[in-house]
Amino acid sequence: MKRPLARAGLAAALVVLAGVPWIASPSIVQFGINMLLLAALAQGWNIIGGYTGYASFGNSVFYGLGSYGTAIAMLRWHLPFGIGLALGTVVAVVFAALFGRAILRLRGHYFAICTLGLAEVMTAIVSNLEITGRNTGLVLPLLRGDVLFYELSLALVVVATLIVAWIAHSRFGYGLIAIRENEEAAAAMGVDTTRYKVLAFSLSAAISALAGGIHAYWITFIDPVSAFDIGLNVKMIIVTVFGGPGSILGPVLGAFVLSGISEVLSTEISTVAGLFFGAVIVVAVVFMPRGVADLIRRFDKYRWRYFAENVRANRL
Amino acid sequence: MDLLWQGLVNGILLGGLYSLMALGLALVWGVLNIVNLAHGAFIMLGGYACYYMFSGLGIDPFVALPATMAALFVFGYLLQRHLINLVIRAPMFNTLLLTFGIDVVLTYSAQIAFSADFRTINPSYAGAHFTWLGATIPLVRLIACAIAIALTLLLWLFLARTRLGRAIRATAQNLVAARLYGVEPRSIYALTFGIGAALAGGAGALYGVVSQLNPYIGVSLTAKSFVIAIIGGLESPLGVIAGGLILGLVESMTSLYVGATYTDVASFGILVLVLVVRPTGLFGRTT
Repeated sequence: MKRPLARAGLAAALVVLAGVPWIASPSIVQFGINMLLLAALAQGWNIIGGYTGYASFGNSVFYGLGSYGTAIAMLRWHLPFGIGLALGTVVAVVFAALFGRAILRLRGHYFAICTLGLAEVMTAIVSNLEITGRNTGLVLPLLRGDVLFYELSLALVVVATLIVAWIAHSRFGYGLIAIRENEEAAAAMGVDTTRYKVLAFSLSAAISALAGGIHAYWITFIDPVSAFDIGLNVKMIIVTVFGGPGSILGPVLGAFVLSGISEVLSTEISTVAGLFFGAVIVVAVVFMPRGVADLIRRFDKYRWRYFAENVRANRL
Repeated sequence: MDLLWQGLVNGILLGGLYSLMALGLALVWGVLNIVNLAHGAFIMLGGYACYYMFSGLGIDPFVALPATMAALFVFGYLLQRHLINLVIRAPMFNTLLLTFGIDVVLTYSAQIAFSADFRTINPSYAGAHFTWLGATIPLVRLIACAIAIALTLLLWLFLARTRLGRAIRATAQNLVAARLYGVEPRSIYALTFGIGAALAGGAGALYGVVSQLNPYIGVSLTAKSFVIAIIGGLESPLGVIAGGLILGLVESMTSLYVGATYTDVASFGILVLVLVVRPTGLFGRTT
């Protein structure tokens, strides 16, 4: 691989992305913030789902905790945004570490649905608490600064991607991949599976919570249904799987491509965009189960047979 | 005391319907090893099918029930045969995601086709009720519960006594061995999934009579069905009845003594608790 060239390309792309708010219209900047936050969330999910192989539906819980942590710190305790964001993130990480120990023992479907249950419980609890504003939610102070939020989101994507890049080439990451491929074998090889999984879950939580906090302050309004939205968790999974789970740039790529397409569609009708998302998962799971990253890597060799080969390998 | 008795009766009536909801999910999970996240969407589709037969053609909902189930059976059979069978040997994560995709497609299609308005199947006798030992029993809820339990028992008989039922159980136990004895897994998988969808359709029709339909009820119904399957286990339809009744009673008691907004906390709290304490489910297999 031509590493220096690839790095130069990435750096150039980053500079262009960072410069967008100064040339583009406000609506494009707003679209950009949503897209970047989704990319960050996907990258966060990539750590626990893509590398460790645990299909988490609980990342929207961390997102919600980050949103509410930031909002409560700013509104109830009048703390500045930065401290609120840090507080929300700490809450999410502690939550992930505590619950992670218990629920990361579950395998496969059981883990997935248990995290789904956790998300439902959190929505219900937050809807009933005084401090979180019950069903009506919370309104944050208004800050007109789309450029700031854009650059913050971009920074989060970069940091998340750097973390994933580090994971991909570290002892820690090899441990996670070993857990994904065969947990018993990984344990037998001396990987402290519980510690690795809890750490991966907590890292994933931190990234999700940061995205949640940034989004809450940007959008200035949160309520239980939107903050703990399972649909958002599904989106993270879709873009990650579409882009390539367990790859460094796949999730970001997936988020950019799918956000772009669905933005074009949703200017027409939002239900069509939803339908499109569903259809994309179905088609992607059937024809390219290893994502765009794998498609790019191997399309040269297989050409159009690539899709047929995938189906043949997995059909009954 | 009267309040407690009424709560118990409500819980049992609700629980009967819950067990039918979960039955298809547990069957498909046990036999195909697929957790069908579109199960709730099938329930929703069944509800709408029954609603339109009732409001459009004036057919009594309980008469429309078999037709609803037949329609969902065909739908489920074709879906498994031509789509889900394509990824059956992929990692579990892919089948989970595929059914999630199907769920999203069905939900949004329903929103486009049926609108997001709440619908209720409302026959003339919807408000009828009688009193038994001091507890008020709504007629439709009693009929719905009775039908749900009857269908569950029918499935149990079908699996235990018929040739096809034995083939399905054999496939669940050991796919390779079943194949050697002449079972064709492609059609058995499709049939089983079709039966699961038909049961979901039946549950949806009954749900539409006792509650309200909208395109988004699917996700929470899938999650509830999963809770019941976890509590009841996948081995036998009778375990699913137990799971359904437990959940119905817990929800009814929670809304009575803690507050109606806490019912979801209670049911999903039980799920998380059961999974944490017994990672393979309360009566689940240890694979």
